[in-house]
Amino acid sequence: MSEAEAYSYDAEMRKANRAKAVAGRSVIFKIKRCDGPGKPARWESFKVPIEEGANVISSLNWIAANPVTIEGKKTTPVVWESNCLEEVCGACTMVINGRVRQSCSCLINEYAPCEGDVMTLEPMSKFPVIRDLWVDRARLFNNLTRVKAWVPIDGTYNMGPGPKESHDHQQMRYALSECMSCGCCLDACPQFIKEEDESKWDSSFIGAHAISQARYFNEHETGKQLKADRMDALSGAGGINDCGNAQNCVKVCPKGIPLTESIGAIGRSATIHAIKQFFQGKK
Amino acid sequence: MSENADSMQTRHFLLRRLHSLTGIVPIGVFLIVHLTTNSTIAWGGLNTRAQSEGFGWMDRAIATFQHEVEFINNMPLLLLIEITLWAALGFHSVLGVYYAISGKSNTGAYKYSSNFRYALQRITGYFGIFFIFYHVATLRWGWTWLVPGGTKWSHEAASSTFAAAIQGSTDGFTPVGFLVACFYFLGVSALVFHFANGLWTAAITWGITISRPAQKRWGVICAGLGAGLMLMAWMSVIGFATLDYEQASRVEQILHGEQIHLNDEPN
Amino acid sequence: MADEKRVIVVGGGLAGLAATIRIAEAGMPVDLFSMVPVKRSHSVCAQGGINACNDVARQQGYSEYQHFDETLIGGDFLNDQHPVLEMTNWAPKIIDLLDRMGVPFNRSNEGFRDLRLFGGSLFKRTHFSGATTGQQLLYALDEQTRRFAAEGKVNKKEFWEFLWPIVEGEGENARCVGIVAQDMRTMQIQSFRADAVVMATGGCGLVFGKSTNSIICTGGAASRCYQAGAWYGNAEMIQVHPTAIPGADKCRLMSESARGEGGRVWVPAKKGDTRKPKDIPENERYYILEERYPKYGNLVPRDIATREIFDVCVNEGMGINGSNQVYLDLTHMDPDYLTEKLGGILDIYEKFVGDDPRFTPMRIFPAVHYSMGGLWTTYTPGNYQPESPVSSFKPGDPIPIGNEPGHGLDIGAHNNAMTNITGLYAFGEVNFAYHGATRLGANALLSCIFDGVCNGISVVNFVREGDQQPVSELDQALFDAATKQEQDKHDKLLDSTSTGTGDQQLNPYQIAFELGEEMNAASTVVKTGAGLEKCLIKLEELKERYAKVELGDGAMWTNQSLSFTRAVGDMIIIGEAIAKAGLLREESRGSHYRTDFPERDDDRFWKTSVAKFNKETGKSDIEFVDVKAGLVKLRPRDYGKTESNASSASKEPIGAS
Repeated sequence: MSEAEAYSYDAEMRKANRAKAVAGRSVIFKIKRCDGPGKPARWESFKVPIEEGANVISSLNWIAANPVTIEGKKTTPVVWESNCLEEVCGACTMVINGRVRQSCSCLINEYAPCEGDVMTLEPMSKFPVIRDLWVDRARLFNNLTRVKAWVPIDGTYNMGPGPKESHDHQQMRYALSECMSCGCCLDACPQFIKEEDESKWDSSFIGAHAISQARYFNEHETGKQLKADRMDALSGAGGINDCGNAQNCVKVCPKGIPLTESIGAIGRSATIHAIKQFFQGKK
Repeated sequence: MSENADSMQTRHFLLRRLHSLTGIVPIGVFLIVHLTTNSTIAWGGLNTRAQSEGFGWMDRAIATFQHEVEFINNMPLLLLIEITLWAALGFHSVLGVYYAISGKSNTGAYKYSSNFRYALQRITGYFGIFFIFYHVATLRWGWTWLVPGGTKWSHEAASSTFAAAIQGSTDGFTPVGFLVACFYFLGVSALVFHFANGLWTAAITWGITISRPAQKRWGVICAGLGAGLMLMAWMSVIGFATLDYEQASRVEQILHGEQIHLNDEPN
Repeated sequence: MADEKRVIVVGGGLAGLAATIRIAEAGMPVDLFSMVPVKRSHSVCAQGGINACNDVARQQGYSEYQHFDETLIGGDFLNDQHPVLEMTNWAPKIIDLLDRMGVPFNRSNEGFRDLRLFGGSLFKRTHFSGATTGQQLLYALDEQTRRFAAEGKVNKKEFWEFLWPIVEGEGENARCVGIVAQDMRTMQIQSFRADAVVMATGGCGLVFGKSTNSIICTGGAASRCYQAGAWYGNAEMIQVHPTAIPGADKCRLMSESARGEGGRVWVPAKKGDTRKPKDIPENERYYILEERYPKYGNLVPRDIATREIFDVCVNEGMGINGSNQVYLDLTHMDPDYLTEKLGGILDIYEKFVGDDPRFTPMRIFPAVHYSMGGLWTTYTPGNYQPESPVSSFKPGDPIPIGNEPGHGLDIGAHNNAMTNITGLYAFGEVNFAYHGATRLGANALLSCIFDGVCNGISVVNFVREGDQQPVSELDQALFDAATKQEQDKHDKLLDSTSTGTGDQQLNPYQIAFELGEEMNAASTVVKTGAGLEKCLIKLEELKERYAKVELGDGAMWTNQSLSFTRAVGDMIIIGEAIAKAGLLREESRGSHYRTDFPERDDDRFWKTSVAKFNKETGKSDIEFVDVKAGLVKLRPRDYGKTESNASSASKEPIGAS
């Protein structure tokens, strides 16, 4: 399925489901649970009554207030990470029905329209589980440090405006700036492999998220100053060359960020950087 | 960054990009040449210069192919070309496998065409290595124990011996021979896909195509090239799989006996 | 050279990060505590923009001073005036700073920063980055913080929950010397020393159940400081945003920028009209705000818009199909233009409701949004001390005071934005200082960053120059006792799992739900004395139930229920301060609207309400103290309501008063 087809198929399916959603129904939530690192995973199911406008978050809230499994066994509230509930903070990412996405924007009407339909919730697959659906995404933020994802300003003293920027260039940068570091692109990437050993993070594949952020800062007039450093990091092990062009990243990105374009652009920068290094580099 | 890390990083980059490059030059270029040559068995009948007394369409095709094989075999610095190719192929294969095992395909969860191509690129890579090994071992190194019927390929009788190798006997298809033909069919298909798709991803890797429309346009070109190559590949396999050993053998003898010079102006 | 003194910043939103950057830049090591990775802080939810005077507006007659004046009248003169003047004077410089940090502000065709209209002003003075300005600003600060962290100047402690300020001494001598915090994963409780503590912990929307706030905005941290002796100012001033999308788990914000870009609020003119919005012709629609406030139209301040929408739905029963909803309509505008300027929020609406607002009017209703009230803070006034307050100001009048720094506040004075507890600062939404009785749209981001970059200097000066004893020399017993206090509370909650009766009345989620329902009903858009009294009785009942609360999860590892349950107790206490201050403020001012006292009463209540936690009774004592004014004279706040103003047809902006 191509990207556009996948998108419209998905949208059509969700729309159709919304139209046929049954009021007053209950939906089964099958949740993969784990009490902590090194503990075994188990599945628990809950029958949750669905109110108008319910999403995965409100359903998990309901379970927290009524933590009894479908077999009638009392259990603990499910643990998961969430914050804004508007799909801008990136916290509540999890694997829902086999696909990674935010749970706040996952409306039950769109995925489980009928009585007894099943919703499957799992933690993200590429990060170590802390408990239940909560995973440790420290590696994702570490990757931003790897590419020096910042503009090296002199300081916070008043020094006038920043560089002028054209309307179109701002629009291009804005599209990249919306990245909320949720990690969907990484979870869906066949080249991004779970790595619990922190010492290996800096040589493991960095993923579309940080590649796109590197491009974002390379495109800023002042941010450019660190371009050579960023390209050094991205040319090495785990950098841009480890991309396998499966292009899942761009399809699962909830913000529609042109990640594959960023990958191409950084590929070009890496090529030019290497040529420059060869002919002009001092090292 | 330390000196050591620095050189590591340079080496990493170089290896990755060389891997990408070798897939196109020389391997990809060779693939195009090779398939063009081999597919003459299907369209060589068009070559009116390969004419001799009583030659029909198929005879001309056999003659053309034989001529091409000999032309290649007589090329200057052939050894150098071969060594380059071997080196490139070995390098591309070893690194390719190393890179491929570092990924973990997930087409079950994410059913996108590009994701299937990603998975297929790796599968065709593994399969291609296996196929090329068999292809070369049986035809070039003469490991005839791997060839059903045991026919040894020779460049003097390129069409007939290859037809026998792929059919399993000098006397038409045997059951095992049919499997070998199928194996060839899959092998060449895999390699053509691997090349065409690799060409598409290489353009992203090197930063030639960036925007989605550009990637799409280049995708159409790669698909077109792939389709053309695929056609030639299938024509070659089908051509040899259906080739009559006797006929090919006869034409080859005529060629050697009568010393037809294909480069001469037709009379 | 080794600077052993450290500063703790609690909260990683705009205010916390701005403070962190400023303090780290001055060479002071910072420990930054946050319950979430700082990039996921609630500031990401801010949408519309950030206000500042700019060159275009300046040439149309606008000035920093007028921004100051607008903020005061927006806040119905409940703001302390000096910090506001300093803030508005800094605003253009703050925009420049953010611009230098790489924030992708929208650009005009010529490449200058684009501007949009916002509530409470007739001038375009709001800078924006699509409809996700808060996100962009937070990310810019997050990136700078990451840079300092990479250089080892900032120690980020994410997934750490603030539990208690460690206070040494009593009353006027109280001094904050550190905090107790808990790792939300390992559940380890630990005390940390600091020569100054900056609270930048945001608002308390969750006290009201469903609000536009993020789920960490419980007000728990502020409440803990309050219980430890910090005063709480203007608790009753809660902003209800006029346009939010009602939802099952929260009310999602629909930015004021939707109206700033041309969105119109209407209901069918005929009660019970069930036609689809597109089928209702123009002359059968009632454009609520445009008809009631022709001058400002859809861009009246939030409290007014909220009350009018509430009035139309609740009092007149004219909501869509009789429900509590009105239309916010953008469908008359070019879809591409909308996508460029408002794409972020329109996508949110489409994702959560299913209709595309470019083609179908949105259905919205007010929801709790922001707390103007917060920890009470003080300051040292700057050098602008007019002999008599300015009585009126119109665009084009000579500007009473320039935009140089230092006019409003004595910059770097140790006590700027400091609470009544020495060494304990409050920045951002948790600081009550800037917004009075209503915050103007797009002033929140400004106040957060201003606190960080301006008052961060005060923190550094206090730590460096103050004559207090360095915290590293204090006796460890003080810190151990604080840790033990929190550990005991924690263990008691954990114990309740095993001793529980299973009574649903003691379920923390049930208690929180009832708290939200009660607070929302009694203490938001329209308040009455009777309603608030009833609310206080209910809170008392909840408090008693909470004392016996039963936890549902006894895990010693990553126990979220425990964290939530602990916060519920603190929310009840803040809720009580909000309701009680609201009951005692017998007037209507800004967001605080009492039907039994519908007029502003400057004689009795031009005063800040200061809540002090009484440790004996466990309740709030409320005092009213004079607002620190002296720069601008009181005047009525009407925003040209219908009959009184005829100049609304004027095309050029003509000013706010």
